[in-house]
Amino acid sequence: MTKSDLTGIDRRSFLRTTAAAGAATVLTGSMLSRVALGQQRGGTLRAALLGFNVVNTLDPQKAILNSDFWALSTMFNALVKFDGQMKIVPDLAENWSISPDLTTYTFNLRKGVKFHDGGEMTAEDVKFSLDRIRNPDIKVPNQKKFEKITAIDIVNKYTVRIKTSEPFAPLLTFLSSMPTGAQIISKTAFGKIGEEGFAKNPVGTGAFKIKEWRANEKLVFVAHKDYFEKGMPYLDGVDLLLIAEETSGITAILGGQIDLASTAPFADVPKLEKDPNITVTKVPGFNNRFMAMNLTKPPFNDVNFRRALSMSIERPAIVEAVLFGEGRPLAGAIPAALPWAYTKSRDICTFNPERAKAELAKSSVKPGTEVKVITWGSGWWKRWTEIVCAQVNQVLGMKFSPEVLEANVAFQKFRANDMEAQNTGWIGRVELDEYLGELFHSKGARNFNGYSNPKVDTIIEASRREFDQAKRGDLARQAEDIIAEEVALLFCFNANAHSMMSKKVKGFVALPSQSLGSQFPPVSLG
Amino acid sequence: MNFLWYLVVRLGGALATIIVGSFLIFLIMQLAPGDPALTVLGDAATTETIAAFREEHGLDQPIIVQYAIWLEKAIQGDLGNSIALAGKFPISELLGNRLPVTIFIGIYGLAIALVISLTAGTIAALRHGKLADTVATSIAVLGISMPDFWLSYVLILAFALSFTWFPSYGFTTPAQDFFGAFYSGFLPALAIAAPMAGVFARILRASLLETARKEYVTAARSFGFAAPFVFMHYVFRNAIIPFVTVVGLQVRYLLGGVVIIERIFGISGMGSLMVDAAFGRDYPVVQACALTFLGIVLTVNLVVDIACAMLDPRRTH
Repeated sequence: MTKSDLTGIDRRSFLRTTAAAGAATVLTGSMLSRVALGQQRGGTLRAALLGFNVVNTLDPQKAILNSDFWALSTMFNALVKFDGQMKIVPDLAENWSISPDLTTYTFNLRKGVKFHDGGEMTAEDVKFSLDRIRNPDIKVPNQKKFEKITAIDIVNKYTVRIKTSEPFAPLLTFLSSMPTGAQIISKTAFGKIGEEGFAKNPVGTGAFKIKEWRANEKLVFVAHKDYFEKGMPYLDGVDLLLIAEETSGITAILGGQIDLASTAPFADVPKLEKDPNITVTKVPGFNNRFMAMNLTKPPFNDVNFRRALSMSIERPAIVEAVLFGEGRPLAGAIPAALPWAYTKSRDICTFNPERAKAELAKSSVKPGTEVKVITWGSGWWKRWTEIVCAQVNQVLGMKFSPEVLEANVAFQKFRANDMEAQNTGWIGRVELDEYLGELFHSKGARNFNGYSNPKVDTIIEASRREFDQAKRGDLARQAEDIIAEEVALLFCFNANAHSMMSKKVKGFVALPSQSLGSQFPPVSLG
Repeated sequence: MNFLWYLVVRLGGALATIIVGSFLIFLIMQLAPGDPALTVLGDAATTETIAAFREEHGLDQPIIVQYAIWLEKAIQGDLGNSIALAGKFPISELLGNRLPVTIFIGIYGLAIALVISLTAGTIAALRHGKLADTVATSIAVLGISMPDFWLSYVLILAFALSFTWFPSYGFTTPAQDFFGAFYSGFLPALAIAAPMAGVFARILRASLLETARKEYVTAARSFGFAAPFVFMHYVFRNAIIPFVTVVGLQVRYLLGGVVIIERIFGISGMGSLMVDAAFGRDYPVVQACALTFLGIVLTVNLVVDIACAMLDPRRTH
C-alpha cells in the first residue's frame, strides 16, 4: 500500500479523509451543506479535549493555554479565521484591504452580528478587544505578537483601521481565531460584569454561549440563537469534557459516552480506523518535536558535535517506533502543515553514520561523554528519548541517558536553559514566525537555548516584512538551511493531528491546528 | 468521665496534627521545583509576566508569611482561590463539587467490599480447610493481586464495551440522579472494592479462626450454648475488632489512592483534584485538599477507635 509522502497516510484513507473534509469545507456555511450531508438539527454534542485537565480562563485576551483557546473558540469569533485548508477567510470582518505600503489594514465588519447578550457587535468592540490585548497592564505573553500595531481607529460603526509601524506579514494570522487572543468580546458586557466575572461568564458572538463551567471537569454550552451564520448552529448545545487520560477517551468514545475527541493516541489509530462506529481524521499537524540543547555550554556549544548528533539518529525509525507511523521525519522547524515553507529533507537531518563519525572527529567532544536528556511522562515522550539516546550511543559511542522529570519542572528547566538537553516541542501554532522568528531570532520570545546568528536574524526580519507567500516561504527556507546546518535544535519529527468521532457526527472539519471549538457551528448529530 | 477525657485528648491530638501537617505540606510544596506561573502562562511566559503572576498571588513573599496569611484565612473558613488549575475558582466550590463524589464512591466501594468480605471471610472461617475455604481464600488473593487499573479496564471491556450493561466513562453525581449514581458508579466502585475485599476477607478469616481457638470460646461451647450463639456472641464480636481497624485504615486509600480509577472512569473526585493541583503547582488547592484529607482521616480514625472502644470496653481503661 502506497503512502503519501506528506502525510504518511495510505492513499485510500487519504482520499477518503480529504474528500470528506473537502466536501464539508466547500459546502460549509450554506444551506446546501445541510442538504448534501443530510444534517439534522438538535441534540447535544459530547466532545472532549483529550489529554487536558485545565482550562484556566474564558477571557480570550488573558487566555494562554491551547486548551483555553480550544474551549473558548466555541463562544468567540475574530475578524478573520482559517478554513479547512488553513486559508484565511472572513469571520466577523466581511472583507478587508491592506494599503499599498502594507502598514494599514481596513476591516469592514459584518452588520447585525449579535453578542450572546443581544447587543450588536460594532467597531467599538473590535477596538476595545484589540486595545485590551495591547494594554501593558494586562501582561499576557501574546501581547508581543501585537507590538507592531501603532493604532486601532474606528472609521465608522462597521469599519476599523489598524496601523502598524512597519509591514508585518504575521499580523493577519495573529488577528484570526487562533490562540493569540484576538477574539472579539463585548465591550458593554465586560464593563457591566468586570474582568473576573467575564473570565467565567464571557459574552462573545460565537455559535454557543456558556451555561456552566465545572472547573477541571467540563464546560457546558448552549446554542446562540442569534448566531450570525444563518441556519447554524445545528446543535442545541455542546458538553466539552476535559479527559486527562487519552486511553479513557478511547473507552469513552467506544462505549458511546462521548461523540468527538480532540485527538487520538498514536498507538490506537490503526485499531480505531478499523472500528465501523468510529471515524478518525488525520492531517499533518501543526507541531514540531526536537531535542533542545544548551548551546552555551559544552558539549553542545560545539557545532561539529551537534552536526554529528543530527546525522546519528534515524528519524524514520523513530517515527515508526514512537508515532506508529503517524507522522514524518522533520528536517527543520517548520511543520508540513505549512507546505509553502516546508522542507521535506536535508542531508544534515538524514541518518549517515560515516559522516556523523567524521563530524565527531572534528569536534572537541570525545566518545563516552555523559549527557542527561530530560523528558517527562511514561508514554511516547520517554520512548522517544530512549530511542534517541540509544541511537546516539550506538553510532557515536556516547553515554546519553534519559532523565524523566515532571512536565512542569522539565519546562522550567527548558525555559531557563538549566539543562544539558531536553526532548520537547511546540504544538498548535499556525503562523510561520511562531516556528521561525520566535524560536531562532536572537530576540525570539521562545529562543531559550542561546542560539544567535545575525544572518538568520536578518532573513527572519525580511520574512516578517514579506507579504508574498511564495517569497516568504523561500526566505524561511534560507533561514532554516542555516539553522539546520548549525543544528540549533535537533529536529526529530512532525506528528499527524488526529481527531476521532462517532459515525453520527457530521460536518466536523478537523484543522491541523487541532482547534476544536471553532469547528462546532456546522456540526450535527446525524 | 474516662471516655470523655479520652475524647478530649484525641481531639486535641487531631488539631495539633492538622496544624503541623498543613505547615509541612505547605513547606514541601513550596520547596519542590516547578512553578505555578508556568502552568498558567504556558510556553510563551516572559520574565515580566511571571513576576506579575507571582506578585498577584503573593508568591513573592517569604514562605512563612505566605503560610501565616493562608492559616489566618483558613481559620476564618476562606481557603482562597485556585491559582493554576481552575481559573481563580473558589477552592471551597471545587471541594464542594468533588468531596460528595469522593464520599459517595468511597462509601459505595466500601459497602461492596464489606458485603463481599464479611460473606467470604465468614464462610472461609466456618468451612476452614474445606473447598469453600480454598475458593474464598483464592478469590481474596486474586482481589489483592489484581492491579486496580488493570481490573478497571477488564471491567470496562467486559461490562461496558462487550455487554454494554454499564457506561464505559463518566459518572452521574447523586445530586443529578441518585439512582443514576449507583448505576454509573458500579464499575468503579467494584474496581475500588476488589482489593479491599480481598484484604478484609483474609483479615476476618484469620481473626475468626484465632478467636475460635480461645479458651473462653471453648468454655462457652462446654456450657452447651448453640453453635450460632457462640459464633455471634463469643467469636464474631471479638474477631471483628481488628477487622474494623483495618477497614478504618483503608479510608486513606478511598480518599486519595483511587486517582487512577477516577481517571479511567472519568470521576471528578478529590484524588484527581489533588494530583492535578500538585502537578500544576496550584499550592492553595493542594493545601486545601491535604487539609480535607487530614481532617477526614483523623475523624475516621477517631470514629474507628471509638467503635473499637465500644466493642471492647477495656480500651478506655
